[in-house]
Amino acid sequence: MITLNHYLILSGLLFAIGLVGVVRRKNLLMLFFATEIMLNAANLAFAATSSYYHDLTGQMFAFFIIAVAASEVAVGLGLLILLYKKYGSINLDDFTIMKG
Amino acid sequence: MENYVYIALFAPLAGSLFAALFSQRPKALVTGVVTSTLLFISFVASVILLNHVHHEGAVHVTLMDWISAGDMSIPFGFNIDQVTAVMMTVVTLVSTVVHVYSNGYMDHDKSFNRFFSYLSAFVFSMMVLVMSDNFLGLFIGWEGVGVCSWLLIGFWYHKADVTRDVNPSISPSWAANEAFIMNRIADLGMLVGIFLIYWNIGSLQYADVFAAVPSMNHGMLVTIGIFLFIGAMGKSAQFPLHTWLADAMEGPTPVSALIHAATMVTAGVYLVIRANPLYSAIPEVSYFIAVLGTFVAIFAASMALVNRDLKRIIAYSTLSQLGYMFAAAGLGAYWVALFHLAAHAFFKALLFLGAGNVMHAMDDELDIFKMGGLKKAMRWTYLYMGLASLALAGIWPLAGFFSKDTILEAAFNEHTYGIWLVLWFTAGLTAFYSFRQVFLTFAGDERYKPLGFHPHEVQKYVLWALSPLAILAVIFGWFKEPFMEFVTQFLPAYEMSEHTEHNVVILTVVTTAIALGGIIFAWMRYYKGLKRDEKVEQSLPYRILLNQYYIPILYERVFSKPYAALSKVFWEDVDQQVVDATVDGIASVIQESGDSSRKIQTGNLSDYLKLMSGGALVLVALVLFAAMQN
Amino acid sequence: MNDILSVLIFFPLIAGILGLVVTEKSIRAYGISVAAVEFILSLWMWFAFDPANAGMQFVKRIAVVPDFGISYYVGVDGISLFIVIMATLMTLIGIIALNIKKDLKNMILTLLFLEVAMVGVFVSLDAIIFYLFWEFSLVPMLYIIGAWGGEKRLYAAVKFFLYTFAGSLIMLVGMLYVAYVYQQTTGSWSFALTDWYSLVLIVPVQKWLFWAFFLGFAIKVPMFPFHTWLPYAHGQAPTVGSVILAAVLLKMGTYGFVRFSLPMFPDASVMYITPVAILALIMIVYTAMVAYAQKDMKQVIAYSSVSHMGVIMLGIFAMNAEGISGSVFFMLSHGIVSGALFLLVGVIYDRRHTKLMSEFGGLASVMPNYALIFGVMLMASVGLPLTMGFVGEYLSLAGFFKISPVMTAIGGTSIIFGAVYMLSLYKRSFFGPVTHEANKALKDLDAKELTALIPLVAIVIWLGVYPKPILQPIDNSVKALVSFMHEKAQTPEAKNTIVVSKRTKEAQ
Repeated sequence: MITLNHYLILSGLLFAIGLVGVVRRKNLLMLFFATEIMLNAANLAFAATSSYYHDLTGQMFAFFIIAVAASEVAVGLGLLILLYKKYGSINLDDFTIMKG
Repeated sequence: MENYVYIALFAPLAGSLFAALFSQRPKALVTGVVTSTLLFISFVASVILLNHVHHEGAVHVTLMDWISAGDMSIPFGFNIDQVTAVMMTVVTLVSTVVHVYSNGYMDHDKSFNRFFSYLSAFVFSMMVLVMSDNFLGLFIGWEGVGVCSWLLIGFWYHKADVTRDVNPSISPSWAANEAFIMNRIADLGMLVGIFLIYWNIGSLQYADVFAAVPSMNHGMLVTIGIFLFIGAMGKSAQFPLHTWLADAMEGPTPVSALIHAATMVTAGVYLVIRANPLYSAIPEVSYFIAVLGTFVAIFAASMALVNRDLKRIIAYSTLSQLGYMFAAAGLGAYWVALFHLAAHAFFKALLFLGAGNVMHAMDDELDIFKMGGLKKAMRWTYLYMGLASLALAGIWPLAGFFSKDTILEAAFNEHTYGIWLVLWFTAGLTAFYSFRQVFLTFAGDERYKPLGFHPHEVQKYVLWALSPLAILAVIFGWFKEPFMEFVTQFLPAYEMSEHTEHNVVILTVVTTAIALGGIIFAWMRYYKGLKRDEKVEQSLPYRILLNQYYIPILYERVFSKPYAALSKVFWEDVDQQVVDATVDGIASVIQESGDSSRKIQTGNLSDYLKLMSGGALVLVALVLFAAMQN
Repeated sequence: MNDILSVLIFFPLIAGILGLVVTEKSIRAYGISVAAVEFILSLWMWFAFDPANAGMQFVKRIAVVPDFGISYYVGVDGISLFIVIMATLMTLIGIIALNIKKDLKNMILTLLFLEVAMVGVFVSLDAIIFYLFWEFSLVPMLYIIGAWGGEKRLYAAVKFFLYTFAGSLIMLVGMLYVAYVYQQTTGSWSFALTDWYSLVLIVPVQKWLFWAFFLGFAIKVPMFPFHTWLPYAHGQAPTVGSVILAAVLLKMGTYGFVRFSLPMFPDASVMYITPVAILALIMIVYTAMVAYAQKDMKQVIAYSSVSHMGVIMLGIFAMNAEGISGSVFFMLSHGIVSGALFLLVGVIYDRRHTKLMSEFGGLASVMPNYALIFGVMLMASVGLPLTMGFVGEYLSLAGFFKISPVMTAIGGTSIIFGAVYMLSLYKRSFFGPVTHEANKALKDLDAKELTALIPLVAIVIWLGVYPKPILQPIDNSVKALVSFMHEKAQTPEAKNTIVVSKRTKEAQ
């Protein structure tokens, strides 16, 4: 029997993987992937709790997140390509013009 | 009668303002004439008031409200009673003479007009001082005369500072500031006295205050008496606030005559006489006043013994005579103090103005060792100064004899034989130094000749102007009985005991004897000419006296210099290094912390993400922790 | 007539904005006429003011943010009336005496905006409006010091701004808390002072609020040890900046104590008399000594301001009508006198471009009129009777004597130390021989300077001889304030200390 806990543990694991990716990765594309994993971890948790409580709000939120994530990727990838065209790199260590 | 009060009061002010209009113009005789005339008018009004008060009693007028806040209500009110009438007459008389005299004395001064403006302003302040019917009104005059004194001592402000060896008073402007500041110290005491009166009695009107005295707590009366007397000590230059008076001789001589001999310095005595119901109720303070006065009498006389400066000798003698007045007032013989005050005003003003004639003749030379034999050139001045000195020494039948003798009788009467003895001895010293000065100036060999001076007598009208003072110096004492009757309508009568009456002849003889002794000693020593004794002049007591007991130097070392040094420390070390540095320190701590935390801002997104994740974890941990606590 | 206060506030604002299109050539005439009209309007307000009425007059209240009880709420009583008039007068005098070449237009317009803030602060009866004007007054002054100042002008300007700003932020927190308490007690929001007065705060809350407001006001006064911005600001500011700063801006602090701290926290005010008085005494004695050590004439006067403000503080915390009326009067006289003294220093600075006393000496011989006016102001500054300076100083000290005779005696040394530094300044600069060649040909005061100074001399003497026209309305309002505080006080100690004058009692 797969209980709510199993879903939540999986969601937590996915979130942790995503977080590690966010912290460790220097490649902007990889960062995007990592954030997508984190978002999907949240989606999973929403969907699971929604079914547990028989309340559709959570699943509705999951759709919202998917929509936001998709538009974010669309805009973000566009910017990323521009960045690559301009500087020839998508490595984060190369962009420190905001250094204080 | 009201109009006469206003005329007496405001005529000098009008004169002062009139002269002020011309203050920056070259000499205009009209200022001198107008101010003198207005002063004379004021004098006439004062005499009319004196007569009126004698027959009808006191006059009281209220001009308008001055300060009114909370329960405090202080009007410009003037009360002319017997004491005030006497003071007004003395002040206006001497002032008129001094004004006329100054027309001659200041003839060549380029600030002639300014001088008259100040001088009349002084008389106005002095009139306010004596005429006010409340303590704060008195304080207006008190401060007003202080400022005029400051202006007039520093009249020749353009002179530069020199060292103490060259001129013991350094410079006119220095002496002026010294006088003002020292008076201010005393004024603070007076102000505290006024506050005490206000909060304990609820009024500053003399009438209310003195009516409340009998019902008041003795300790409070003592405190009030002490603080008011501190004020009096400053104005009347009593020890230890006496050094300014001798230095004040930097001012023009008419100023010394008017302010620093006849009128302003007696304001302290006036205050004690005015507050007689208070001081009668606190015999211990009164006794202290008498003792201090006695001490100042001999203390100042001792300094006059050796001084070579014509004006300083007279200044010390003024100080000494003020001591006599305080002794009399302290012993409860208020009318005697007032009598001596008036007599002293006449003969001391005469003495000073005579000294002014000598200075004029000697081109402002003041060293009596450089004079001598002036009697040929200055017969009238010699006569005047001789008369004034005789009066000062207390020789029958001149004014000083009656007034000083009565003070000595009072001291005897109170069984304060110590005071009597000191005052008696001081009478001898007084006679000696007065005649030492007169003889060194007018008699003996003409030491000025090799120095190239050409002395000459002053203008005729100046000599005429002095004659009223000379006459009064001679005859004023004859009016002792009527004077006593008049002022004791207001002041407490002072009765001599039978014991004193019994001994009065002996006392008079003894006193006259020591005065004559002093004169004879001065005559023997100085009449023929100056014989200097190096050994005496080098001796320690002589040098101590010549340096005023080293008190000015002591004050400089103990007060002025440490004050300046401490001020500098406060500014440079405390204000800049501690207070301001703390403020700047706080600012720089904020700046430093910003500067060091700036380093987190690497510009690398990856670093930010790490920090953010760390922060998020901490927040989650906190939430969990809080959840577990519940 | 009821809109007179709004006219007073907004007239200079509109005139300042319109002034942007006035040409550089005619800007001086424009500035003088605007300031003169403003001054005449303020005099008219005095004329219409009912001196027998101790309460607020010409009150105008328009709700601005009704949900939070913020309103445009203005009014004057005897306490603020004359400070407003002084502010308009000193602005006029300052503009007349202006002697700068650089950016004259900007300066004049800045002064007009500053006038808006100054008038606004003293007539506001709503804490938020008060706070707005209070902070707004910093900006023009920051600009004046920063743009026309001396060598270290930026440091001085920033220090002035940040220091006073930091203090007033704490005061703002205090204000918000009072409003919050008001909302808790009555259920509705209000920032109106008159509403706050009716609020009875428990003593522990009063204590905290007292110190919050204290910091804001004390930095402005400036009280020791928060005074160090002042010498820099004065040292660097142009003459007109110093005049306005000393005459009006410092009074905002002491006015704040009278308007806010005393009626809102009577118990805490009584409780903290001793610490405040000790700070005031340090101000009086210590800064007087520091003033004596100065080499620069302007710094002497700057420090003397601090010393005199100490006496004002003593008067405010006297808790009786004598002291508070005296200190309000002293605010006015100090404004006039120190303003005039700064103008006078400016006169000599214009001629010699130095303010060091060692550069002068013997000025009385070359500039007699200047020496005369300086002498009058000096005597007013040391508190000579029959000048304006005496009345306030005397009443402040007399009032505080009721609280503590010993502390008053120490505070009274102000009359000694004041004489010491002022007379030594006068002696060093004006007396003695003329030693510097450059001083021999100095011109005496010109027509413009005389126009600015003579009215001040006249006021100093007039109000010294006859202070009643001003002192009486002040005293009326102060008596009402004191009896209000007495009513409101909760602790027996405060009830005993706050002395209602006998005349007020009889009137009741």
